[in-house]
This record gives sequence, C-alpha cells and structure tokens, in this order.
Amino acid sequence: MALAAPAAHARAEATYRPQANRLGLWLFFLSETFLFSAMISARFVTSGTDTPEHLNQPLALGITIVLLLSSISAYLSENAIAHDDRAGFIRYTRITIFLGLVFTAGVVLEWQEALADFPAGTIYGSAFFALIGLHAFHVVTGIMALGVVLNLGGKGHYGSEDYWPVEGTVKYWHLVDLMWVVIYPSLYLF
Amino acid sequence: MRALIRAVSGGAGGYVIAAFVTSLITGGSVSDGVPVTFGYIFALLGWLHGIGVWNAWAREWFGLPPKPDNAKGWTRYFTFSTDHKVIGSQYLVTFLVVFLVGGLMAMVIRLELAGTGEGFIDADTYNKVMSMHGILMVAVAVAAVLGSFGNYLVPLMIGADDMAFPRINALSFWLIPPVAISLLSAPLLGSFEAGWTAYPPLSVVAAGDGQLLFNMGVITFGLSSILGGLNIITTVATMRAPGMTWGRLPIFVWATFSASLLSLVITQFFAASLVLIHLDRVAGTTFFGAAGGGDALLYEHMFWFYSHPAVYIMVLPGFGVALEVITHFSRKPLFAYKAVVGAFLTIVGLSSLVWAHHMFTSGMAAYLHAPFMVLTEAISVPTGVIFLSAVGTMWRGKLWMQTPMLLAGGWVFNFLIGGITGLFLADVATDVQLHDSYFVVAHFHYTIIGGSIFGLLAAVFFWFPKITGRMYNETMGKIFAVWVSVALALVFIPMFWVGVNGMNRRVNDYQQDLETANNFISWMALLLGLSFVLFAVNLVWSALRGPKAPDNPWGASTLEWQVSSPPPEHNFPLLPEVVGHPYDYGVPDAQHAVVGGSAKSED
Amino acid sequence: MNRDWLKVGIIWAVLTALGEVAVVTWRMFPEGYTREYEVVDEAYILLMVLAVPVFMFMITMLTYSVIKFGSREQPTEDGPPMHGSNRVIVAWLVITSALTVGILINPGFVGLSDIRGEESSDMVIEVEGQRWSWKVTYDNGIVTTDELIVPVHTRIRFDITATDVLHSFWVPAFGTKIDAVPGRTTELYITTERTGTGEEDLNLRVQCAELCGLGHARMAMPVSVVGEAEFDAWVDEWLAAESAAAEEG
Ligand code: HEA
Ligand code: HEA
Ligand code: CUA
Ligand SMILES: [Cu+2]
Repeated sequence: MALAAPAAHARAEATYRPQANRLGLWLFFLSETFLFSAMISARFVTSGTDTPEHLNQPLALGITIVLLLSSISAYLSENAIAHDDRAGFIRYTRITIFLGLVFTAGVVLEWQEALADFPAGTIYGSAFFALIGLHAFHVVTGIMALGVVLNLGGKGHYGSEDYWPVEGTVKYWHLVDLMWVVIYPSLYLF
Repeated sequence: MRALIRAVSGGAGGYVIAAFVTSLITGGSVSDGVPVTFGYIFALLGWLHGIGVWNAWAREWFGLPPKPDNAKGWTRYFTFSTDHKVIGSQYLVTFLVVFLVGGLMAMVIRLELAGTGEGFIDADTYNKVMSMHGILMVAVAVAAVLGSFGNYLVPLMIGADDMAFPRINALSFWLIPPVAISLLSAPLLGSFEAGWTAYPPLSVVAAGDGQLLFNMGVITFGLSSILGGLNIITTVATMRAPGMTWGRLPIFVWATFSASLLSLVITQFFAASLVLIHLDRVAGTTFFGAAGGGDALLYEHMFWFYSHPAVYIMVLPGFGVALEVITHFSRKPLFAYKAVVGAFLTIVGLSSLVWAHHMFTSGMAAYLHAPFMVLTEAISVPTGVIFLSAVGTMWRGKLWMQTPMLLAGGWVFNFLIGGITGLFLADVATDVQLHDSYFVVAHFHYTIIGGSIFGLLAAVFFWFPKITGRMYNETMGKIFAVWVSVALALVFIPMFWVGVNGMNRRVNDYQQDLETANNFISWMALLLGLSFVLFAVNLVWSALRGPKAPDNPWGASTLEWQVSSPPPEHNFPLLPEVVGHPYDYGVPDAQHAVVGGSAKSED
Repeated sequence: MNRDWLKVGIIWAVLTALGEVAVVTWRMFPEGYTREYEVVDEAYILLMVLAVPVFMFMITMLTYSVIKFGSREQPTEDGPPMHGSNRVIVAWLVITSALTVGILINPGFVGLSDIRGEESSDMVIEVEGQRWSWKVTYDNGIVTTDELIVPVHTRIRFDITATDVLHSFWVPAFGTKIDAVPGRTTELYITTERTGTGEEDLNLRVQCAELCGLGHARMAMPVSVVGEAEFDAWVDEWLAAESAAAEEG
C-alpha cells in the first residue's frame, strides 16, 4: 500500500500494515454507517413510514435480489484470489460488476418512474431521491473499485499472500449491500 | 511549486469547464445551482489531481509506477508530501493564516457594533461578514490543533516514523485549501448570510448563492476531518513503539485520539445535514420547507448532533496541550492520569447525547427539555476532572513560568469561565432568556478561545523549538501571553453583561442604552487584535532569525524531545523502546524511553 | 505543606465571601415585568451563588501555585512525585457530582416547572413572524403590527408561528422566548406583573431572536404592559375606530 520503504526505517512496514489497513477500513465503515443513519433518520422524521401508492415493488425487489447475489459473487472472487485461482477471481469479479451495473440500471428505471409519480418536491420524493441517490453513489464507486482490482488482477497482481486491495474492495461492496438492506425496507416496505 | 501551480490551474480549469458544460446542458446560467455544484466537484478533482494525487497515488490503481514528488527543502511544503511533519506544518501555517483572516473579520464586526445605527457596513454585509467569521473560526477551532500538532506529534510521541496512512494524511491536508478558497470566494456568488449554523429555511431561501459554496466547502472540510480522525486512531492503535502501552501514552496523544473518535463518526451528520440543504436549494427537494411537508427542526437536530460534539473536538486537543505543558513545566507527574483518560472517554460518550441543549427555545417537544438538561450538566463532572488534574499537577511543583506555561495557566482560567457559564445555558430556566443573546456569544468565545485557541497558542510556543529548530523570543512571548489574557477578559466579560441586558446576537444594530458598553468592547477588541500582531512578529522573526534551539530546551521527558530539533526525516534512527511512564518526574531512576540505543535521563 | 493548605483555605474563604456579597448585591438583571422573569432572575442568582465557590477555588489554587511555587528560572530539581491518590480523585468526583445534582434539582427541575407554570391562560394572543415584522392578533379580533399591548396581572398564552423562515419571539423584559417556526405553532406563557412602556424601557420590545436575514436586527416592536382599565379602553377605542372605518368604507 505505501511507497517503497526507505532504508533507515525504524520499524518494518510489515509488522503493522495488515492490522492498520484492516482497522482503517472498519473505521471507515463505522463512519459511513453514521452517514447512512443520518439520512435514514431524515426520512423517518419528515415522512414517518408513509409510502406513496405508485411504488414499483417488483422492480425494487428485483434489484434487491440482484444486489444480494452480487455480494455472493464478490465473496467468491475474494475467495478465489485467496487460493491463487486467478481465473475464478476474474470470472466472479466480472459477474459482480455486471450485477452491479444491472442494479444501477434498475435504479435509473426506478427513478424515471418515480419522477412522474412523486417528484422530488414531495416529502417522500425528497427522501426517496436523497437516500437512493446516496446509495447509488456508493454502488458506482464500488463498481469503479472493482474495475480497478479486476484490471490489476488480470495483469497478474495479487495472490494468496497479498490480496488486501481485493479484500478491502469486496468488504466495501458488502457494506454497500448491507446499506441497501436497510434502505430498501425503509423506503418500500413500511 | 510546480505542483501548486498545476493544482491551481487544474482547479480553475475544472470549475470553468464543468460549470460551462452543465450550464449548456441545463440551459441556465453558469451561476445556477447545478453548474456551480458540478463546477465545484470538478474543481476539487482538478485541484487534487494537480497537487499530486494522480502522480503519487492513483497511477498505482492502473498498474503504473507512482511518481512521488521528491522535492527537497521548503518547496516540499507545496507538494503532496506524505511526511507527517511536513503535513503538520502545512496545517499549522494554513490555520494560523485562516485565524488571522477570521480575526480581521471580527474587527469589522466590532467596528460596526462600536455604535448604534448603520455605521460602517450595512445590515446585509454585516450578516455576511459575521457568518464568514463564524465558519472560518469554527474550522480553525476544529482542525488547527488536531491537524497540525496532532499530525506532527502523535507519531513522534508514540515512537512511530509516520502516520498509518501517509497518503490519506496528505489528502486530508490538501482538501483544506479548496475549502478556504471556496468559503472566501463565496462573495462572488453573493455570499452566505445564515450564520455558521446555516439554519433552514433561511439558508435555503436566502438570495446569495454563496450558500452553495458554503455547503460544499464545509462538506469537503468534513471529509478532511473524517479522514484525519481515521488516520490518527489507526496510528495510535497500531503503530506504538514496543513498550508504549495504552497506559503510557502521553496525554496529548490520548486527547487527539479521543477527539479523533468524535470527528470520525459525528462529522457525517454535518455533511448529511448540509447535503440536504444543498438538495433543497438545488434539486428542489423539500426536507426543510414547511409548504412541501418538510420540517426545519429536523435540520437543527441533525446539525447539533454534530455541532455539539464538535465543540469537544475543538477542546479535547486543547485539554491535551494544557495538561502536557503543565506537567513538563511543573516537573511533576500528571496528576490523576488514569482519571483524566477516563474523563476524555466519558466526554466522548456523553457529548453525542446532549445536542438539544441548543434547542430549548426551538419549539421542540417540551418533554425533551429535562433529559437534555440532565445530560448536559452531567458533562461538567468529567470536565471537572481535567481541572483537578491541572491544579493537582501544579500543586507544590517546581513551576517554570515560561510563555507556554503562562498560556496554559490562562487556559485554566479562561476555559473555567467558559465552562461555568455553559451551565447557565444548560439550565432551561435561564436559557430561555439567555439563548441567542450576547451571553451565549460570550460563553462560546470563552470556551473556544479559552479552551481551543489558548491550547493552540500554548502548543505553538511549547513546540516551536522542536518544529523550527529555533527559539522564540521569550520576552515578547511573555508580554503576549499577559496581554492576550487581559484583553480577552476586557472584550468578553462585558459581553455577558450586554447579553443579560437584552442584546441579541447576530444584529448590526442594538438599543441605544447599550452603546457605551459596546463601544468599550469594540476598543478592547482592537487591543485584543493588536496583541496578535506581537504574536505574529515574534513567530515570523524567530523562525527566521531566532537563536538555534537545543534538542530539549524544556528538559521534557516525552519522546519528541529525545530527537533532534527539528526531528530527522525518519524520526528515530533506531526503534525507541518505551520502558516507563511518560511523566515520572521526581521518581528516582525513572525513565520513559530508550532512544537511539543510549538511555536518556529524565531531565 | 499543611501551611499551604491553610493559606489556600483562608484565601478561598475570603474570596468566596467577597464574591457572594458581590453576586447578591449587584443584581445583573435589569428589572422585568413578568413572573417568568423573576424565575429566570432567581435561577440566575442561585447559579451565580453556587458558581462562586467553584470558581474561587480554581482561581485560588491557580494563583497560589503560580506565586508560591513558580519561578522565572529553570528549576534545577523535580517536584514531589504525586500521582494523585484515589482518595483525592473520588472526593473530587463526589463533590462535583453532588454540586451537579444540586443545580439539577434547583434551579434545574424547580426552575423548569416554575417557568412553565400552568397551562391555563386568561387571554390568547396569536403572533405571526414574517420577514421582517410581527403581526399580533388578539382573541377579540384586533390585529396590529406596530405594537404589542397587554394588560397587567394577566396570564397570557402566545400562539406563535411564522410564514417564511425561522424567527424567535423574545421580549427581553418578559424573560422568555420561543422560536416562530413555519408550519408549526409554538406556545409561550407569561404572567404580567408590572406596568411599563417600550418608550421607558427598551427591553420592553418584541425582538426577533433568530437570524432571519437582512432586517433581523430591526425586527422589533415596542411592548406596553398597561393597567386593566387602560387596556379595556384601548380595546374599545380600537373597536370603535374599526367600526367607524367599516361604516365609512
Ligand atoms: C470549545 C467549545 C465549547 C465547549 C467546551 C463548551 C462547553 C459547554 N457548553 Fe457551550 N457552546 C459553544 C462552545 C462550547 N461549549 C458554542 C460555539 C456555542 C454556541 C453555538 C451557536 O449557537 O452558535 C455553545 C452554546 C452552548 C449552549 C446553547 C446556548 C443557547 O444557544 O441557548 C449551551 C446550553 O446548554 C452550552 C452549554 C455548555 C456546557 C454545559 C459546557 C460544558 O462542557 C462545560 C463544562 C465545564 C465546566 C463546568 C467547568 C469546569 C468544571 C469544574 C471546575 C468542576 C466543578 C463544576 C461544577 C460541578 C459545576 N453551550
Ligand atoms: C475559534 C473561534 C473564534 C474566535 C477565535 C473568535 C474571535 C473573535 N470573535 Fe468571534 N465568533 C465565533 C468564533 C470565534 N470568534 C463564532 C463561531 C461566532 C458565531 C457566528 C454566528 O453567529 O454564526 C462568532 C461571533 C462573534 C460575534 C457576534 C456576532 C453577532 O452575533 O452578531 C462577535 C462580536 O463581537 C465576535 C467577536 C470576536 C472577536 C473580537 C474575536 C477576537 O478574539 C479576534 C482577535 C484576532 C484578530 C483580530 C486577528 C489577528 C490580528 C491581526 C491579523 C492583526 C491586525 C489587527 C487589527 C487591525 C487590530 N465574534
Ligand atoms: Cu426575524 Cu430575525
Ligand atoms: Cu452544545
């Protein structure tokens, strides 16, 4: 992760780097949780659990399933690289990215319908667009990160000894998934 | 310097192109909400790209070898340097400058308030200057000590050679200049006028589109705080030298660690609340507009859920500095070390449970008054422990009254006034009258200046020899310490009185019978401002011309004093080994750490 | 050492005594016109009385240490290695907690219930804040925007709202305030006790206390607390003038 260590370093990077990376990532997740809870609480404070009539439930359920499946493929890709199975890693990462893109397309469709039924100027619409927008932003950054590790993995980077970037990205993808599992019911199911 | 020029042109180019393209797409003017938003985002990306994020970092993501900027000498300070000492100094200089700019705005405020009527500036300008003063100063208070001394000293004090994530560290600093630039250039778009608190609906309906820059600038600042906090926590948790147990951490490290815990999680609420303001302004959502079913009180809750804990982000590093200085200059162990650490953590826990004491008169449900009053007042118990430690450490010590120690004493005195008057506001019966009066203004200047800025000032003098390798001028330092303390009292004590006598805050005009008092306050504010001229002269002159500083001019025990002044590039030639408590002054044969292979004695 | 404590004790006692005398003789609050104002004033004084010993203790310790133990020269030896005994820490925690509980009870809870008082009123006045003026509607239909007139010895409920942005309804001489929030109605109770006019006492004014933009500072109007007879006369006069105007138009 860091630059080439200068010769006179007092302490070898390797002694703390894995721990530091892992802790840093979890702290970042903790922070993200607060961001999402802030936004979700805004939804409940302003509009309670009200939902409008015209919600495309099948579409929402569909993309939810797609996103959940993508978490499985993400897990498999991490598992593959941990066992030096480069082909498997590439395959599953591609699947994850593909599912992520399907999800994003689903969100675009969902938004087009929503704009007609409950525009941003209504209180539910406000919460709907803000929450899903925030989440979609995370999905897109997740896809970009997956793209980066896919590209590097394809060029022969990573292996069972050093696959931290893959692990970090996949964990991030799980987080994004988990957030959807909270957002989806709070917008659709109550 | 090349990096800086690239960054500036990247930022400016990013802004112009993105704003122009989006305005073509939306068919509106370039100064509309959407173009400004995209302009800002691309300006930020262009800036970061230019300063070196691409070369030193992002190239790796594409399998290209990174090309870090290996500038030497003073030009390092204008590059994406990952050396925590460079970053700490960058923070320090940046925030001292922002502090002086914010202070000049305070002078403008006081000039206007020197007499009744519309004297110096009109009401509109007043609101804008006041809002700018508020947000700049809040940024200073939140990040000046944490960003500069936190970055500079935490690795040194725990015996590490850098922060855990050096590049994230550089990123958190380089996010700051765009914030400063966007806040200060907000007047180009009509400035922002809703105070630093940016309450809607005013911040949504106010004419000035500078509010857009305020929102995005502050969100960026929040991102920087979050990353900075993450870095400090990880560093302290994983990079301590052998023997540096949690129970042996210098108190300043504990203080920054606690403040970082807060800024890591809590800052998200500020970001979220401003995102919602921004959406209301730009995207037509209606979170806070009553007409569309929104609720202005939602914002107040979200905002204070951040901004109350934020006052502890401001003051915890100040606690750390004051106690650190007091132990070394009293030559006694830090009194009640463990209790102080416990107090820090209790404050961290409690501080996110008290936010609605800012809202006693907001119209929120009345049953919330009592619990928030209880929790708010409960926080004075852990805060009191810090005072116990301060005076307990001084008691029967061998006090050396150098400038840092004078300022630490001033810290005790001033923050005490701020803290105690906080209780007058925590009490509902008095707050319904005092809320939004000058009593509050006096309270928070005493807490922020007393707790945070005095910490900053003491830290500047205490670590000046370490950072610059030169001594400051002691006589000028002492005169400054006394001058600033006296002037502070002359400015802000009378403000309690005008507040109690019916003057409300955020006004450019007030009732006739308070003119004499306000006039006095304004003159004294000028006196206070001038003290900082002496401060600036002392620092600049000493940094350039001061006598060479020894490695350990104060005979202090902690690790940063066991290396040269300024510290060598990689901090410690050999891995230090910590063998005892940091502050065992007076304990026979006590030793804190073994550095560079040879044992250093405690004094 | 015991000497030091004795001296600190004496200085502290003297300073505290002086401080207490100053606090009770020099009342910081100007005069008010309502029962609620007295609650605030009393709570404030009580807090001052309790704050003085704490403040003086810290000041005494601080200045005594600096004067007695301080020096301009670099000390050649260390102080005694006191790490702080558990006894001292616990004692400190007990004292400060007790103080906190004390102020929570009085003026905390006591003040809280006093200031709220009963939820009953002799008169309801509606107030609407709008940039940058106040509109007052009495229960007998009178509407004014240039002054607020209330009878003395009356319990009044203000129903407050706003049309555009946040404002705050504050009469400094009444000792309490509440925000005017668009889309909500907030309530404020006061009980008038003394007569006075906004010309004599500048704190008898409705002052907007929440930043609302350009005219925030001047969003004020005078208040008069008048005798009941005078108030009735004002009402009659107003109603007469209104019906006269209605007949003409
Ligand atoms: C560094 C910043 C800082 C700090 C540390 C504090 C500390 C405290 N603040 Fe302050 N406060 C602000 C900055 C700060 N504040 C700002 C900026 C605002 C205004 C924001 C705005 O509206 O713009 C504000 C506003 C504010 C309000 C809202 C006022 C209003 O708008 O109506 C309240 C109300 O409860 C309050 C209370 C307190 C309390 C109880 C503490 C306590 O933490 C203090 C605890 C300390 C002590 C009590 C002293 C030491 C203790 C002892 C010696 C022990 C013995 C003492 C006792 C047992 C009593 N503050
Ligand atoms: C770190 C926090 C901080 C600091 C240090 C200060 C410092 C000062 N502040 Fe400020 N202040 C705030 C934070 C801070 N303030 C906040 C958060 C608000 C609320 C805003 C809001 O309501 O939204 C506020 C509001 C505020 C008000 C109320 C405005 C209003 O409600 O209408 C006033 C009024 O007097 C004031 C005055 C001052 C003064 C005189 C100083 C002085 O201490 C400044 C001294 C420093 C200098 C002067 C600079 C250095 C000197 C030079 C560069 C040399 C040249 C000098 C001369 C020409 C004399 N401040
Ligand atoms: Cu209305 Cu301020
Ligand atoms: Cu607070």
